[in-house]
Formats: sequence, C-alpha cells, structure tokens
Amino acid sequence: MMYILVKKNLDQKLSEWSAKYEVVAPQKVEAYSQFLPFTESSELALNEPHNTRYPPKSLFLPQSEVMLKYNKRLNKFDEIRILPEKRIIFGIRPCDASALTLLDTVFDTEEYQDPYWAGRRENTILVGLGCSEPPSTCFCTTVGYGPFNHDGLDAIMTELDDVFVIEALSAKGEKLFSDFPAATNEHELSVLRIQSNAKQGMNQAFETEGLKQTLDHLFESDYWSEIAESCLGCGVCTYLCPTCFCFDIVDEVQRNERVRNWDTCMFRIYSQEASGHNPRPTISERTRQRLMHKYSYWLDHIEKIGCTGCGRCVRYCPVGLDIRAMLRTASNFESEVVNVG
Amino acid sequence: MPELKTELRNNIEQLLNDQAVDVVIAFKKADLPLRPQPAFFRNVEELEDLEYNGLCQNNLANYLTRYPHDTKIGIVVRGCESRSVNALIVEKQHPRENLYMIGVPCQGILDIRKIINKTGEDITDYSEDGDQVSVIFKGNEIKLQRSDLLHDSCLRCVHPNPVNADVLLGDPLPEGDPTIVRQAIEEFEALDRDERYAWFQKEAERCIRCYACREACPMCYCTECFVDHTTPRWTESDISQAGTQAWHIIRAFHQAGRCTSCGACERACPMDIKMTYLTDKLNKDMLEVYQFEAGMDDNTPPPFASFNLDDKNRFVI
Repeated sequence: MMYILVKKNLDQKLSEWSAKYEVVAPQKVEAYSQFLPFTESSELALNEPHNTRYPPKSLFLPQSEVMLKYNKRLNKFDEIRILPEKRIIFGIRPCDASALTLLDTVFDTEEYQDPYWAGRRENTILVGLGCSEPPSTCFCTTVGYGPFNHDGLDAIMTELDDVFVIEALSAKGEKLFSDFPAATNEHELSVLRIQSNAKQGMNQAFETEGLKQTLDHLFESDYWSEIAESCLGCGVCTYLCPTCFCFDIVDEVQRNERVRNWDTCMFRIYSQEASGHNPRPTISERTRQRLMHKYSYWLDHIEKIGCTGCGRCVRYCPVGLDIRAMLRTASNFESEVVNVG
Repeated sequence: MPELKTELRNNIEQLLNDQAVDVVIAFKKADLPLRPQPAFFRNVEELEDLEYNGLCQNNLANYLTRYPHDTKIGIVVRGCESRSVNALIVEKQHPRENLYMIGVPCQGILDIRKIINKTGEDITDYSEDGDQVSVIFKGNEIKLQRSDLLHDSCLRCVHPNPVNADVLLGDPLPEGDPTIVRQAIEEFEALDRDERYAWFQKEAERCIRCYACREACPMCYCTECFVDHTTPRWTESDISQAGTQAWHIIRAFHQAGRCTSCGACERACPMDIKMTYLTDKLNKDMLEVYQFEAGMDDNTPPPFASFNLDDKNRFVI
C-alpha cells in the first residue's frame, strides 16, 4: 500500500510524531549534514543528493558510549543500561539502512547479542528516503543494492514535486502511515519512473564477480603498497563508513567510566601489541585489512560484501583515494601478475 | 596554468631521466575531476598522469618523513610546502642534499567545498584559466571567480613563493598582506574569555577523533602521538568534551613555531572544523615574541626547540 505525505505538512507531521517518539532526521551542521533530534527550529537536509556525511550507524553504535561507571573506593560498579525511547529515524538512505542489516549479523546473533544495539534496533522505525538522482560517487548498484533498496527499512519514500510517496514495508511501517492519504495511480506511476531512472543512471563501478578470489590472491603482493602510497592513515573512510563497526573499550580512569569508542584498522595503534610488535606495521597492511574485510572476509562470514556503496569514503578521503578505482586496479594487477608469472 | 604544468612535467622528466632523484612527489589526475591525488613518480611514462592546478589540496611535504634519509627525493613545493620542507630539514627529518625542491609560486588552493556550494556536487569537468575557473555541472558550464573559491588559509597567505627551492617555475608572485592574517587573529583575541571559549567549544565538539588533521600535517610525524600513549594516558580517548578539547589544544601547541599555515589540516577535516585560528594565533605570537616564522630558512631551529644562555628574549610568552 502506498501513501502520500504532502511536503508542506512535513514539519507538522514530524512534530506530531515527536509527541510519541523521538524523531531523528538529517539536518545541516556547518556545510554538512547529520542525523539530529527534530525540533521546531530544525532545518531539515532532505534535499541533498546523497546520505548525511556523519553516518546514522552512530544512532545504534554511538561513537563513544559509557558502558559502566565504577567506584574503586567502594569496590562497586553500576552497569549503564540505556532503555531507548521509541524512535523514528526519518529520511535514512537505503545504503545506510541496509548497512544496519549487515551489522545485525555482528551485534545481534544467536550466539552473542549486544543489548545496546538490539534494544535500539527494536525500538526504532526506519523511514527511508530513496535517492532519485544518485551522485557519481555513489555505487550501491555495483555491490548488490540500489537507490531504492528496501533492506532494513520499515517504509521508503520517493520524492515527487509536492509530495513524498510512501511505501510501507513492514508492520511497523504500515501502522505508522495507515491514516495517511493513499497515493493515486498517477503518483505510483511517477514513483516507478523515478526509481527505474535512478537505478539505470548508475554505472557498474567495478566487477564484483571473482573479486574476493582476486584479492585473496593478491594478499602477499605489492598491490597494497601501490594503492596505499598516498593514503594518510587517518580514520575518515572507516569512521564515516556505515558498515565499519570496530570498537575499543577503554577505562576512562579520570572519571571512573568504562567507555566503548569506535576504533579503526587504519590506525597504527589498532593492531599494536603490548610487546611492541605490530603485525600490520605500515599503511599498506592496514589498507589491505580494510579492503579485505569488506570484499573478502564478510563473504566468508555471511556471503555478502560488507559495503553498501554509500560513497562516503570516496567523497571525503582527504587525498582523493577512491575505493572503486582501487578495486578496479586489483583485477588489472592480478592479470599482470599472472601474465608475468 | 597549462604552461606551468608543461614546465613542471619537463622539469620532472629531466630529473628522472638524469637519475638525479629516486622519486618525485607531485600530484596526479584522478577519476573525480575535483580530486587530484598526491602521486609518486619514478618513471617518465607515469608522467602522463601528472596534474597541477588549484585543486591540489594536500601538503606534499607530509610524505617526506616516510622515506629513508638516503632516498633522493624531488618534490613539488608551493610557498607553504617549501617552508614545511625547510622546517623538516631543520628538524633533521631529511638531509637537504637528498632533496630537490621544484618551486611553484602559488596562487592559492581552492576549497572544494566552496565550489560544490556554488554549483552542486556532481561536477564532471574542471578547468582554470587565470582568475577564471570553469566547471561542468549536469552538462552545463559554470564559470566562477578563483578569488571566491580560495581556501580560507590561502586568503590569509603571506608567502606564496617557495623559499629555498632548487628551481623556480613560473614568475614569482607579490607577497601577501600580513595584516590580513593579523586582523583575523586580533578579532579572535578581542573576544572576551567566555566568547573565545564558546568559539573553541563549538569547533572542538564536532571532532570525531579521526586524526585526519594530524595525518595531513607534515609536522605531525611522531611515531607515537600523545593521544595514542596508553602508559600514561594524556587525554581521554573518547569524543567527550574533555577528550576533543584536549586533542585540539595540545595538537595546536605542538605546532608552535613549526606550523606554516598551509591549512592542510582544515582541508582534511571531514567535519569542517576550523583549526587554523589556534595555529595562526600561535604563529602570530612566535613572530611577535621571537621574530620567528617557521621554515623561512633550513637552519634556524624553532624557538621552542632551542636554547641559548645569552637569550635576550623573555622566557615565557
């Protein structure tokens, strides 16, 4: 069933929802956008061609999260259990929503369940906004998703001139929109056209068939030092990535708190061992880990690539490194190796 | 600019042909027209990809410290970059005799975000001609003025010409007006304490501790940065106020007398955090108190890295 939300009623609708839910939506901060709680003074940033710069994974796996407070003198500790409010994340892009389903296979499995993650997932309704004109830095279709992919979403919106046309995708989504006006046939036709144009406008950025095997073969090769030569070794690509989930647990002894922080394989200290040895001593090995994790190890675990093509690492790399170009080079590099061999 | 690029190419080609250097650090074209990348040329054939334009946003001196001291390095340097190289020579990070500095007077680096703000994101082509920049956005050509697009650091640039270069390509440019940078700092200094703190807080609170600023900076070459120390720990490791503020303050202090105001830190920051107001303030103090500007020669150590028993200057700022 498809519904419509008239654009001029958007703020009013979000305010109404705010009475029952915490509503989070993309908003402008300086020149970029980030998901923030909706208030009456919020300036929504729904008209960007792509996702927010700061990823909404932080709404489920905050960059820094206090897990327990302790008191050494009294020899006791208090575990922090956040009971999340019921939440609507409005305007999340399909790449970011599908990334959450990938991260579910890390944080919410039969064997291990992260209560912080699972609690937040349970209490959140994800209302997606499809990408009508994906920019050239996006590559969701290459890695098996698409600008209107449904994975992880409770509803997906397609933007028309004056309205958002909403397709409910789950019981939660259906319930949220059931009293909205129904979309007309004309709306539905426009939606089909926009969705198909958006998808067709995207090129295959690199070949995924056999990519894992290619990278596996290149493990010991010079490929990594070649592609990583200009890499700075900062955390931009991984921190902004919607599927990177590494964390480090640290005791902040000054304030008697145990904190979980995002961490990244691109940092030297990530793999630094207490002995002083570092099994990934240079940026080349760290780059290898980043790419192999996404395009090889994820496949070992769940038979899916650990990348949803959101394009952030391409857009914001300080030295303009482009993961798509790196992966295209992989196939070429391998054939050179084979030819020479 | 195209002539300059040709000149640059010829120069690098000769260096490589003569085997005068092992590698030349410059920029190359990339698939995205706004994002030329740092590149490392070892063969003449690779020079097809050479790029030089206002979008070359990184400070190439950053890569010097990755090489063993006996590597003969050619490096393309603009004003600030040459000063960073000089400062690194002073700090014994690479011997001068194993460096060949190809100097290019710099008209200023363009801020990609300023371009995108004026046009939109999907730019498919880019060219520049004197003061004019032309981009193709959604099939349409948009002409822009270079001066409207300069990165903030470059608007305040005092020394656009390379210092101490082995060869200078192109004509030297007039020096920048030092009152422009001074004025910006004086405005900041004129704020009262609470206002200054509010400014600092607003910038620092967006920090995500990705350390792109550190990694983009030629002078941040410590093998182990103070934030990575675990015994003892110097700062909180998270994105709490205390953690991010400590990072920004201490990072800036470590730059006193070493920063060349290149602005690479700000251009690398994914969260648009302003950082140069801190380092520019320190640079202003270094100039006023010690008459010192980093990297203006390759033998004077920064004031905080040297001492002299006959020192006539005040001990503490």
